[in-house]
Amino acid sequence: MGHRDIPVLETKRLQLRGPDPADYPDFKATFASYRSRFMGGPLNAYETWMLYAAEIGHWEIRGYGMWMVHLKDTGETVGMAGGWFPAKWPEREIAWIIWPHQAGHGYALEATDRVRRYFYHDHGWETAVSYIDPKNLDSIRLAERLGCTKDHAAPSIDGNDAVYRHPTLEALQGQIGHGVAMEIAHYQDPLFKPKGFAVD
Amino acid sequence: MTALVTIPTFQTDRLTLRAPMTSDFAAYAAFRMGARSVTVGGPFTEQQAFHQFCALFGHWQYHGFGRWMVADRESDAPLGIVGLYHPLGWPEPEIGWSVFDVAEGRGIAFEAARATRQYAYDTLRWRTVISAIAPGNTRSQALARRMGARQDGHFDDPSEGKIEIWRHLSPEECL
Repeated sequence: MGHRDIPVLETKRLQLRGPDPADYPDFKATFASYRSRFMGGPLNAYETWMLYAAEIGHWEIRGYGMWMVHLKDTGETVGMAGGWFPAKWPEREIAWIIWPHQAGHGYALEATDRVRRYFYHDHGWETAVSYIDPKNLDSIRLAERLGCTKDHAAPSIDGNDAVYRHPTLEALQGQIGHGVAMEIAHYQDPLFKPKGFAVD
Repeated sequence: MTALVTIPTFQTDRLTLRAPMTSDFAAYAAFRMGARSVTVGGPFTEQQAFHQFCALFGHWQYHGFGRWMVADRESDAPLGIVGLYHPLGWPEPEIGWSVFDVAEGRGIAFEAARATRQYAYDTLRWRTVISAIAPGNTRSQALARRMGARQDGHFDDPSEGKIEIWRHLSPEECL
């Protein structure tokens, strides 16, 4: 299939790399936890490893996939973000997951914004969606902070998920993109101490 | 950059063992969604089959070995999935085989499994290898026996329950 490499992407705080065997334990812990309830989990050990292998293999099949998100400072992983497109899905999805103990620092926002710009600029995507369980309020909130709007007309995967449409590249070059960049900059500021509940 | 591994290709009398291709997915999904997949934890949905198809590649990337698409040497038509399989949590890597409906009863799994065993011993320099077989899977038990494997205890898988361990002939016994 000829997609031979997974590129490395960077943001101010994060480095996004291909998923590695060494990164598996945090993925496993997350998919064994309640955190994974909107992503088909919790999963047992066998199912979790198969899913991890699938995350890696998606790169070979589609030429893109989910990156492992590392903190530049410490190298530790905080979650995953990227593109996801199983057989028979209506559209390509931009997806994310943050390990439960890493929530609240804006990492999902920063990583997902980066991968979205990569897909628009480097893969020529003109649109993308995120399929979100209507009960998954954290992810709906993140989608909205990324400038997504609910697309009632777009087909969902199986009728049990809501479709959030990402802003176009053009929209991201305007006020919406500016708003996203500003929020990310807040999180990147070491003096920024958000109050209230943690958001991804 | 994370470089993706290249899955090796080789041939036997009637077969090519090669990397899976997108064009194989329909045949693979038909098997995973069909009644005959009951011995490997199925039947699965198309969604699950896609994840499993992706995982064929991810397994190679993770371990450096994995399963091949077994194809007809002449036509390159996909016939099944055979190779080395080691989901984390299993006690050891195994030689696993599944053949699609079109390939049943022709000794395809036997031919590909023998080639896999040889690959494990000659190329990877393994000293031993097993096959993990569900207790009721009499056809796979028969194939393991035909290869000279002997039953060697069992283990408990979180999804599948009890799984029999069939230990293959050692490298010396295969000479």
